[in-house]
Amino acid sequence: MTAAIETTKLTKWYGRSRGVIDVDLVVETGRIFGFLGPNGAGKSTTIRLLFDLIRPTGGSARVLGLDVHRDRLAIDRRVSYVPGELALYGELTGRQLLTYLGNLQGSVDGAYRDKLIERLELDPTRQIKSLSRGNKQKVGLVAAFMIRPELLILDEPTAGLDPFVQLEFEHLCEEARDEGRTAFISSHQLPEVEHLCDQVGIIREGRLLAVESIASLKERALRRLEIDFGGSVTAEAFANLPGIRDLRVDDGRLNCTVMGSVDALIKTAARFEVHNVRSIETSLEEIFMAYYGSGDGIAAAGAGEEASHAAA
Amino acid sequence: MLLRNVFTKTIRDLRWPTFWVALGCGAMTGYFALLFPTYSSLFDFNAMLEKMGPAAKLMGASLGDASTLIGFLHIELFSMMLPAGMIAFAAGMASGFTAGEESRGTIDVLLSYPVSRRRLVLEKSLAIVIGCVVTAAVVWVFAIVGAALSASELPPDSLAAALVMLVLLGLAFGAIALAISAGTGNRGAAIGIAVALMVAMYLIDALANVVDGLNTVRPLSLFRYYMGGDPLRYGLNLADAAVLAAVAVAFLAFSVVLFERRDLAA
Repeated sequence: MTAAIETTKLTKWYGRSRGVIDVDLVVETGRIFGFLGPNGAGKSTTIRLLFDLIRPTGGSARVLGLDVHRDRLAIDRRVSYVPGELALYGELTGRQLLTYLGNLQGSVDGAYRDKLIERLELDPTRQIKSLSRGNKQKVGLVAAFMIRPELLILDEPTAGLDPFVQLEFEHLCEEARDEGRTAFISSHQLPEVEHLCDQVGIIREGRLLAVESIASLKERALRRLEIDFGGSVTAEAFANLPGIRDLRVDDGRLNCTVMGSVDALIKTAARFEVHNVRSIETSLEEIFMAYYGSGDGIAAAGAGEEASHAAA
Repeated sequence: MLLRNVFTKTIRDLRWPTFWVALGCGAMTGYFALLFPTYSSLFDFNAMLEKMGPAAKLMGASLGDASTLIGFLHIELFSMMLPAGMIAFAAGMASGFTAGEESRGTIDVLLSYPVSRRRLVLEKSLAIVIGCVVTAAVVWVFAIVGAALSASELPPDSLAAALVMLVLLGLAFGAIALAISAGTGNRGAAIGIAVALMVAMYLIDALANVVDGLNTVRPLSLFRYYMGGDPLRYGLNLADAAVLAAVAVAFLAFSVVLFERRDLAA
């Protein structure tokens, strides 16, 4: 089966500054794929390479089995795109813009488009320049979904959306997946996409570090815990628990980072008088730093169970 | 419906600029045509020009006979005002065709639809051709009406010939500006260079009337081809028109090639 996206050693340098380096990415069809990385990691660069807006310094990319440069128009008919810095023609109303883009596409199911407008609660009569960021984003999403593309490439699509619209957006993605279509969603925030995606690719400083299923990533999620005890406790009691890092105990307060399950820590803590427990789920950024922050991290990712390639 | 494709959308984008430029150029021309009899009864233009000597030659590339309306329009409008207006219009608009989409950031969405970069450039360029032709047509109508109202003689075919040259001159500079902006993404540079080029070429052509040494470089000036054949008196000079058209087409082709090769701004 043809992959929705397949890049081979995809590399982009802007002069001497890094875009992306040797990205080997395979996204299978019929999935919701999260493309995760901190700002400036190369997510948008990768996406713009897929749309032939910028040209690779090295390597190659195929979308739906087609060459991103040579087969450009064939890809454009089947793939839609919501850019990260979404800019639309401000002088048009939402409806006018959707009409224009629909005409460029060729044919659009008007009834389906209107249903999308309704579902996302977009007011299509307003000029785009008068819309808030979130409402502008809705126009972009309707435009992307209305052509029923085989592949949706969405760069930070949920920025500015209110929770209701975000939920509706997720439903739309899931419906697309259930129809065998593919969504490729970039984000710098794991919580935003973790319940939506089947699989994530992690990019940092231009390099694709790993492709993992959400389940396996969550197992490796880090939590910071802070426990206040009634009496004094010693660090030794906790030091040898599995997955414990950065342990610090002073004056009845324990601070630590736990990788994976907190079960052992909680059971150990229960032997003492516990006044309060605070758990802070670490941001994706911190997971990056913990796993991929150093050269070792990259090697570790390479050895990971689902590392570097989606299981084909 | 003006949202059918890139061409019609560009027509839509250009409708107000075209309206104002056409109105401005048309009103100016109509005004001169209307008031020409009054002016010429008050002043003896030819005598004035003679007194001015070389300075007068600088004002008009090839001096017409100011005692006729057509000669008067040549000196007053076709030598400087109208070309400046037409070039500013064509170059100003064309410089924004690709660079404007890039700086606004709309290029990402636009090109993610089945529109090739080549088609984007060509369809937008076709729209500015329409804009320039409409402007020239409006000028023609205002001039003819003004001349009719003031009972001045103005041969419609000679006027049309001069306006054809005006459109071609505008399009040549428009294509130059387009090529610079398509090749660099920098609209400001495109306008700046096009205007600087216009001034330099104008000066070369005007000064060549008084400075013999400039005659060797005179063929480099597009103004040479624009009014060099004196279309207001002798009608359309096909060779001159072909030179301007060739420059426009060459720079348009150049624009496509440059734009197709480039990394587009994010």
